[in-house]
Amino acid sequence: MTLRSTWGAASLLAMLAAGAVAQQATHPETGEPLAGNQTFTYRVLDEFPTIDPGLNEDVEGSHVARQMFEGLLNQDPQGNVIPGVATEWSASEDGLTWTFKLRPEARWSNGDPVTANDFVYAWRRAADPNTASQYSWYIELMKVENAGAVVAGEMPPDQLGVRAVDDQTLEVTLSQAIPYFPQMVTHTTTFPVPQKVIEEFGDQWTQPGNMVSNGAYVLSERVPQERLVMTRNENYWDNANTIVETVTALVINDESQGLTRWQAGELDQTDVPIGQFPRLSEEFPEAIHAVPNLCSYYYAVNVRPDSDPALLDVRVREALSLAIDRDVIVNAILAAGQIPAYTLAHSATAGYEPPEVPAASMTQAERNARAQELLAEAGYGEGGEPLTFEIMYNTDQAHQQLAVAIGQMWKQTLGVETTLANQEWQTFLDTRRDGNFQIARAAWCADYNEASSFLDLMTTDNSANDPRYENPEYDALMEESRTAADPLPLYQQAEAILARDVPILPIYFYTEDFLLDPSIKGYPFENAQENWYAKELYRVAEE
Amino acid sequence: MLSFILRRLLVAIPTILILIVISFVLMFNAPGGPFNSERPVPAAVMANIEARYGLDQPYVVQVWNYVWNIVAHFDFGPSFKLRDYSVTELILQGFPVTLTYGTWAFAVAVVLGVALGVVAALRHNTWVDYLATGSAIGASVLPNFVLAPVLVLVFTLWLGWLPGGGWNGGQWQYVVLPVVALATTYLAAIARITRSSMLEVLNSNFIRTARAKGLPTHRIVLRHALKPAMLPVLSYLGPAFVAMITGSVVIDVFFSTGGIGQYFVNSALNRDYSVIMGVTILVGVLTILFNLVVDVLYAWIDPKIRL
Repeated sequence: MTLRSTWGAASLLAMLAAGAVAQQATHPETGEPLAGNQTFTYRVLDEFPTIDPGLNEDVEGSHVARQMFEGLLNQDPQGNVIPGVATEWSASEDGLTWTFKLRPEARWSNGDPVTANDFVYAWRRAADPNTASQYSWYIELMKVENAGAVVAGEMPPDQLGVRAVDDQTLEVTLSQAIPYFPQMVTHTTTFPVPQKVIEEFGDQWTQPGNMVSNGAYVLSERVPQERLVMTRNENYWDNANTIVETVTALVINDESQGLTRWQAGELDQTDVPIGQFPRLSEEFPEAIHAVPNLCSYYYAVNVRPDSDPALLDVRVREALSLAIDRDVIVNAILAAGQIPAYTLAHSATAGYEPPEVPAASMTQAERNARAQELLAEAGYGEGGEPLTFEIMYNTDQAHQQLAVAIGQMWKQTLGVETTLANQEWQTFLDTRRDGNFQIARAAWCADYNEASSFLDLMTTDNSANDPRYENPEYDALMEESRTAADPLPLYQQAEAILARDVPILPIYFYTEDFLLDPSIKGYPFENAQENWYAKELYRVAEE
Repeated sequence: MLSFILRRLLVAIPTILILIVISFVLMFNAPGGPFNSERPVPAAVMANIEARYGLDQPYVVQVWNYVWNIVAHFDFGPSFKLRDYSVTELILQGFPVTLTYGTWAFAVAVVLGVALGVVAALRHNTWVDYLATGSAIGASVLPNFVLAPVLVLVFTLWLGWLPGGGWNGGQWQYVVLPVVALATTYLAAIARITRSSMLEVLNSNFIRTARAKGLPTHRIVLRHALKPAMLPVLSYLGPAFVAMITGSVVIDVFFSTGGIGQYFVNSALNRDYSVIMGVTILVGVLTILFNLVVDVLYAWIDPKIRL
């Protein structure tokens, strides 16, 4: 604490010195005095697998891509869609054709205008099998016409349902109406990429010096595994209203080291190491934040026909789910504002509210009693056949802690024994996919802020449906939801089915815990996808 | 001597080839793969990705192509996980970093370690010896993953003298803590080996003769004792040097230096096949090279050894 304030004092002095020369700037809207040093430095866990928006598949990569590129639409601080490159958008009456009007003043960092053709090129490129993008399925998920066939290599990319009517008009044809389509085009996979530059430099186009982008920032320096620096794009159409000059991502693998460097003033933002939330909120109450993050943590139960017969009995699965004391997990173990989960989709998802499933409104004592009843009915547990299950998780201290606690709860309440098994990530993914588990740890983060991004997981043909849950009734509901004017009741019915069939044991909804220097303002705390735009940030002068 | 060096270099070629083949086989038999993810990619996409990286070819063809690309084009292929870089680019970026802090750490460890060992041997069984030996043992049981956070706590957080991590193009402020953290364990080992070897030499006949001739102590130590006493140290230094300049995963992860040490662990965990191979070959070549250097130095120090 002492050190931070000394550092603050030093920067104040520097600022005063600067202030003597130039008059202090203020924020155009709020009128707050701005600091002389308009930089934003944040920690990332690992090197970005790629900063090419069409290839990107991870969250940290998408944060960088969002600063350097601008898609059709952006999100406001609450996560609602607002104009990006497109200023107007509308759907045809049948919902199958979307038209986007692009702003004529949009420019690439080399001064070229951003046109509808740039989007057409980017979307075709992302879907093109030759690009080998691991996110090509996203174009399919958007239901762009012919996307499936293009991704599979059965049709040429130019058959994709996207075309430039003129330089400022983009038209997208869908194979199926999706009401939340505008929300989907805030995703990095849909960002425009510069055809000329990619054709000139090939795989090297993302290197500093080569890269041309259309967002508020451009890449200025990149040292793999160390740092990535972005500076202002002078040609960005809204450059005049952008305040932060330099955005730096520092790769720091170790989260405690991130914390130390944040305390030393080397970073503006870093994650809260596991278990440290209570201590740090006392120490840095103005800097610490816990905001909902659209991810759900659950255990997948193997319900393949060849699975353990006990697990194929829905009463056993329900008993296991009920006997998990989520309040203990959330309040005593994780202790960073996470939300107990009894359903799959995160409760902070836009336009979504979890249904009232019975388990959610019971007390834990009631749940435990019901769990014991169910297990006895099924003929297991005390007085019945003894049960032993294996919980499989990817090697990580936090997952282990939960597995130990849950195993303990099952033993105390149900007399069920558990063994723990952990595997490192890549092996774990194979094991889970191949169904070589009884109960496996899983988590899902929404690709777009809409409940179907979660609920589609449990449809029969979803490749990430690791329990291998199959229910035509569920599939039909999800299918119907796509064209429904108000999908919420359908989503709630689908959740109720999951709660009844228990292919998964929901445990908690994530929060994102981080420390942010209090002088940084404009951070979208209410955006549940954590989609921040550096062009909205600013650093106020410290008093 | 020259024919010895040439012979050794010739033997190195099949050694490296065997290393490549064994690593390849081990790697491909590990479960998982570089393109696994939470949401499995559709089969058609996976086929495209595999074709792009040549993973659809039979084993033998893959090994052959790999070796051929290295020999003919010095091309270690693209990284499978860090798609914006080739393996050569990653190594060219990361190796100078570890080479820098590794060489400094090596110099510090050798100079201080030898000095400490010699002083301890000369003042055998006095408080000087106990202090030197004690601190060497202390340092050798202090692993760098414990030492590094302590250093950062003291020098970054409390004193505010040095940055807690990063590299920044190798400015000296960023190099100090990694060097100290890396050098300590090696320094301790060098001090202990030097001390015992020095003690042995100081008790030998030719030193007694030198003393009897009335030579001053500094001359005995520097001219006569140090060189033979260095032989056991030297055999330790060869592999130690390679280990230091190829970095340490602890140092790289902890100080975020961007060096190549972290690739040994990260690329294995990520199944980044080409990076695993790249760093394995790098370490293999350096190990062979520096073992050769050590052997040549041996012959130079001790004329009884004929190459």
